[in-house]
Amino acid sequence: MHFIWISVVKDLRRWRRDPFTLAVWLAIPLVLAVLLNVVFGGGGKPAPRGVLLIADEDNTFASKVVSGVFHRDPLDKMLALERVRREEGRRRMDSGEASALLIIPAGFAQAVNRGGAFRLQLFTNPSQSILPKVIEDTVSITLDMLGTRRGGPPIGLKTTVIPEKKQGKSFAALFFPSMLCMAVWMIANALAGEIWKERALGALRRLAVMPVRMAGFLAGKLLAAALVFACVAGTGLVAVRWLGGVPVASLPAAILWLMLAGVAFYLLLLLVSMSASTPRGASMLGNLVMFPLALVGGCFFPFEVMPAWMAAVGRWTPPGWAVTQFSAILDGSAHAASLAAALAGLVAASALAFMVTLMRLRRSFAL
Amino acid sequence: MIEVEQLRKSYGELIAVDGVSFTARPGEIFGLLGPNGAGKTTTIGCISGLLEPTSGRVRVMGHDVVREGMAARQALGVVPQEIALYEELSAIENLKYWGGAQGLRNPVLGERIEKVLELTGLSDRAREPVKRFSGGMKRRLNFACGIVHQPQVLLLDEPTVGVDPQSRMRLLELVRAEAQAGTCVLYTTHYMEEAETLCDRLAVVDHGKVIAAGTLGELRSMLEERDLLRLTGVFQPDAARAAVAPIDRIEVLQAEEHLLVLSLVEASRKLPAIFAALEAAGCEVRGTTLTQPSLESLFIKLTGKELRE
Repeated sequence: MHFIWISVVKDLRRWRRDPFTLAVWLAIPLVLAVLLNVVFGGGGKPAPRGVLLIADEDNTFASKVVSGVFHRDPLDKMLALERVRREEGRRRMDSGEASALLIIPAGFAQAVNRGGAFRLQLFTNPSQSILPKVIEDTVSITLDMLGTRRGGPPIGLKTTVIPEKKQGKSFAALFFPSMLCMAVWMIANALAGEIWKERALGALRRLAVMPVRMAGFLAGKLLAAALVFACVAGTGLVAVRWLGGVPVASLPAAILWLMLAGVAFYLLLLLVSMSASTPRGASMLGNLVMFPLALVGGCFFPFEVMPAWMAAVGRWTPPGWAVTQFSAILDGSAHAASLAAALAGLVAASALAFMVTLMRLRRSFAL
Repeated sequence: MIEVEQLRKSYGELIAVDGVSFTARPGEIFGLLGPNGAGKTTTIGCISGLLEPTSGRVRVMGHDVVREGMAARQALGVVPQEIALYEELSAIENLKYWGGAQGLRNPVLGERIEKVLELTGLSDRAREPVKRFSGGMKRRLNFACGIVHQPQVLLLDEPTVGVDPQSRMRLLELVRAEAQAGTCVLYTTHYMEEAETLCDRLAVVDHGKVIAAGTLGELRSMLEERDLLRLTGVFQPDAARAAVAPIDRIEVLQAEEHLLVLSLVEASRKLPAIFAALEAAGCEVRGTTLTQPSLESLFIKLTGKELRE
């Protein structure tokens, strides 16, 4: 145990004093995330207001009186008005894009003038509480005023709350799991390449003639790498949660998953690196494995934006599997049993990779 | 103690070590002398357990390195040819790691680190990253990492390669001090002067075989106090051989078109006769080098070539 511990300390110290390599691999996904957020996520736009959709099918002076009240201060600062057709308005309400949809059917002006019974329709967004109520009250008051002036039966307002549907994922929620997995995947590749440095300077040969087991050396490297992955995962998730507003159902489970996935990636890429015959070959081979798998495995782009066939293939790759499970942990859709099974699978795969890597290390690579 | 019996190591058809046998005792510096590619590093690799011998036996402090590898390695300290240090770490951190790997724990580890840093003259730079060290300092630290755990047997594989004269002197003093403390030291080198000044006993190796072994005195006596005369110029090999043959107690070691190497007693007195004989045979002497009996001349006598070739 003592040797494992000093190996962990040794690697953490080395990486801390040469942070450039890790920083580069960590920076790539972060820069990508920020760029994508700016390009697709509306970065830099003013803070969003409530949106009132108005389907004015009457299009008369009377109907404009109703919609006109929302142009007055302070309502104009709280709500952006958009004129839409009824169908488009319903569709946008169903997708949760607006605070409310007010439908003023044709014949409204006639009803106001002649005093007949009439009813406007208001559809409200269930995920908002204040703005729909403000809109409903404002429209009711306006209609009351119109009714009082003409002296006939009141003009009614039928308010319908759109049934709450599961909200679509935000941009950040869609992309950040992929970006975090990409960071871990890339750092794993960089750390795996380090083994060639230790070989070149003769440290592995020196170790091979000492009364310690190579398994302890490898275990030390894994633990040190696991700590790096846990730090990256923890920092990334906290940033995603508090800055990106992405819901994180279970922070410990998410960190644990990303850390273990990182260790499995590290072992896989270590084995790939050690199967090359030169450091240059190892670097090329590592990148050859890493980039395509990251691309297909949902690390560069989420499965949701991929062609269906590619997403289906990608979910079966190691990073794809990790991203899928990680996303499920983040949005809380992962069941305890399936999560436990996935963790067990990850540990089993890592144990197998550990044995194969150790064998390669002992039999040829370290000598 | 190191006991090597009929050690053989081959890679397919290439035989790197061929039937090497020797014994190195505690408190002794045993030298393995030979040119590059002679099999010295392979021999060290087999003794340290890094390589498995094809046949033969190697024991370190009585432990067979193949069957009792862990016990043998516990007695060993190895200073490899390459500078096996972590450059991002300081001298202290390297010593902590390698000493810890040898099983040392604090406070003993701390005391030993302090001691070896003092011995190697690195105390004042102990907390600096190794990447800022000069080549000589790295060599000394490399040595310190090999002795931090006070091994009973110390294997040194050409530890002075690429080292400045000052650092070399210091390293050689350190090796002597280890032997004086009772450590059995196996020292490989292709530097004659190092072997002559440092080693108590020597084995000269070439092409994987021990071609001579013994103390420096025993090896010198193999030359019978003969000088080595090296002549350059234009020679007809057969004619040159025939011309010098009548001269008393002369031996032709090498005869080529531009080189003639002779082994003889009191060479300086016989030079006029040699020059006259060669001139009469139509040879032209352009350069002369006379060497007193040494390991170098022994090696040339045994192999017909220079050690640094």
